[in-house]
Amino acid sequence: MTDKLVLDRISHSYGDGDTQLKVLNQVNLQVQKGELVAVIGPSGSGKSTFLSIAGALLTPKEGQVIIEGESLSDYTAHQLEQLRLNQIGFIFQSANLIPYLKVEEQLLIMARLAGMDKRKAMGRAKDLLTRLGVEHRRKSYPHQLSGGERQRVAIARALMNDPAIIFADEPTASLDAARGHDVVSMLAHEVKSEGKAAVMVTHDERVLSLCDRVLRLESGILTEEASSTLHG
Amino acid sequence: MYLALREMRFAKTRYALIMTIMLLVSFLVMFVTGLAKGLAYANASSIENIPADYFVVQSDASQRFSRSEVGTSVIDEVRNVVGNSHAAVLGVQMATVTHDGASQKIDVTFFAAESDSWIMPDVVEGSGISSYASGEVLVDQKLKESGVQLGSVIHDQTSGMAWTVAGFTRNESYSHTPVIFMNEQEWQNWKQKISKSVQASGNAAYNTLAIKASSSQADQLKSKLPEMEIMSKSTAVSAIPGYKEEQGSLLMMIAFLYFISGFVLAVFFYVITIQKTSQFGILKAMGTGSGYLAASVLGQVMLLTVASLFISILIIQVASRLLPDSMPFQLSGSTIGLTGCLFVIMAMAGSVISIMKVNRVDALEAIGRVSA
Ligand SMILES: Nc1ncnc2c1ncn2[C@@H]1O[C@H](COP(=O)(O)OP(=O)(O)OP(=O)(O)O)[C@@H](O)[C@H]1O
Ligand SMILES: [Mg+2]
Repeated sequence: MTDKLVLDRISHSYGDGDTQLKVLNQVNLQVQKGELVAVIGPSGSGKSTFLSIAGALLTPKEGQVIIEGESLSDYTAHQLEQLRLNQIGFIFQSANLIPYLKVEEQLLIMARLAGMDKRKAMGRAKDLLTRLGVEHRRKSYPHQLSGGERQRVAIARALMNDPAIIFADEPTASLDAARGHDVVSMLAHEVKSEGKAAVMVTHDERVLSLCDRVLRLESGILTEEASSTLHG
Repeated sequence: MYLALREMRFAKTRYALIMTIMLLVSFLVMFVTGLAKGLAYANASSIENIPADYFVVQSDASQRFSRSEVGTSVIDEVRNVVGNSHAAVLGVQMATVTHDGASQKIDVTFFAAESDSWIMPDVVEGSGISSYASGEVLVDQKLKESGVQLGSVIHDQTSGMAWTVAGFTRNESYSHTPVIFMNEQEWQNWKQKISKSVQASGNAAYNTLAIKASSSQADQLKSKLPEMEIMSKSTAVSAIPGYKEEQGSLLMMIAFLYFISGFVLAVFFYVITIQKTSQFGILKAMGTGSGYLAASVLGQVMLLTVASLFISILIIQVASRLLPDSMPFQLSGSTIGLTGCLFVIMAMAGSVISIMKVNRVDALEAIGRVSA
């Protein structure tokens, strides 16, 4: 089984009783190794909710999340923490890096928390930063970087602990078109070369051509976009 | 501590300011404590300096030396229990004196003891006093400020008796008045003059017995002498007229200082923590445990507290040397230790709310909705 992530009939709603707001309705998804999947949809359609559930930040009301063949249904809070640390990488829209850590340390703290050997961590951090073209900024603080550089550091950090799957919530929202394209192509490249899977929520139509599949979330239902409209 | 240290490195100015405030607060707390202790010592040093464990007074004297009398039978009884050399008689009498060459009246306290007794203080200038009625006394150095010198003659207002200053002692005061030491012969002579009852009996009693005794000996004395009270030295000190009232006010002040500084620290740390919630959200989303973050917050608080305490202790040491003699200041190692511990505890208590806040931060805040 090469499925890195499986969502099995996920339903979620906010609030209870009369004011219940159904956000996800029987959502199914499989993401395989080496795949970059985009999720699009109108604002308020539940994309962030969907990503939080898939990323083990939020427990769904119904259905189960399976990461690397393991169901998260019976995981304790601590096990979920460990899972997020070791198996999941997050890239958020903004407010993303820790302001008081230098670029290199943003990566090293992840390794530290996961208990990685220090020498190995240094090597991996240097390697990742080089691949993403921000190695020369490794001693800089986030506020000294451009938006694109910051998102590239965020990608490197997401990859640091060698996760099975990466989740990104509008990673290009604060970037211009060219920068956004660069960042997503780097993400796509890393996903391919490291054999990971990635799910990216985006509003940015221009980066969809870099994704293997595009899914649309609307009225709580997740549907596949016809690929012919995307490539070409 | 990885995060805590790097954060302080990044926001140097902010943390330097926080440390300065903590430093000033801990300095203030310790400074006032030192002044209170100094005042306490200036009030009661003569009793503090007597190397006794207990004092024997009459039960109905409300622990006041001046209201108590110990007769020869009691003295014999006590000496039987603790041994001759471990019980020393002490007479205490407040009086108003003048000294030759000055019309100014001075309030003093006379202490009378056997001239070879261990109650007698060290002489820092001049010579000691002998056991016979030589008309000589030892006086506290503070009297120098009123012009008293070696060889000056001190006149008692009530009896008209006069004594010559043979030597000076240091740090001997009782209820803020300088203490004048005399031997038992002088005490007898003087009491004969001022007290009718003494004239009748022909023998002046002492007010108390200072004893060196174990607590079991003290218990033994309590059962043997039901009409006497065996009080500890600290009880004797707080029974000095004015002592309790003075220390009570100061203690109140110090307690409020602690409370206020604890509160200020708590608010400080809380505000700082609030500013960091979105970072905590991100760290939690990435799999950082609440325990790790709480330890980081606590570690930071501890580091700031201990560092600022350390510096303020150094400053206190310097400041206490610069203070004039008229501002008595006393801060022992144990008081510094205790103050330091209390301060650390206050700081920790202050960071508890912050830690609770950290625990409540939701990892979800990092996704989607935040970014603001
Ligand atoms: N904690 C919550 N409590 C109640 N309702 C919520 C909560 N979080 C989200 N919602 C609601 O659920 C719906 C989906 O929210 P979500 O953030 O997942 O949308 P989204 O697709 O990410 O939108 P956007 O594109 O604007 O980021 C919205 O209507 C939102 O108001
Ligand atoms: Mg969203």
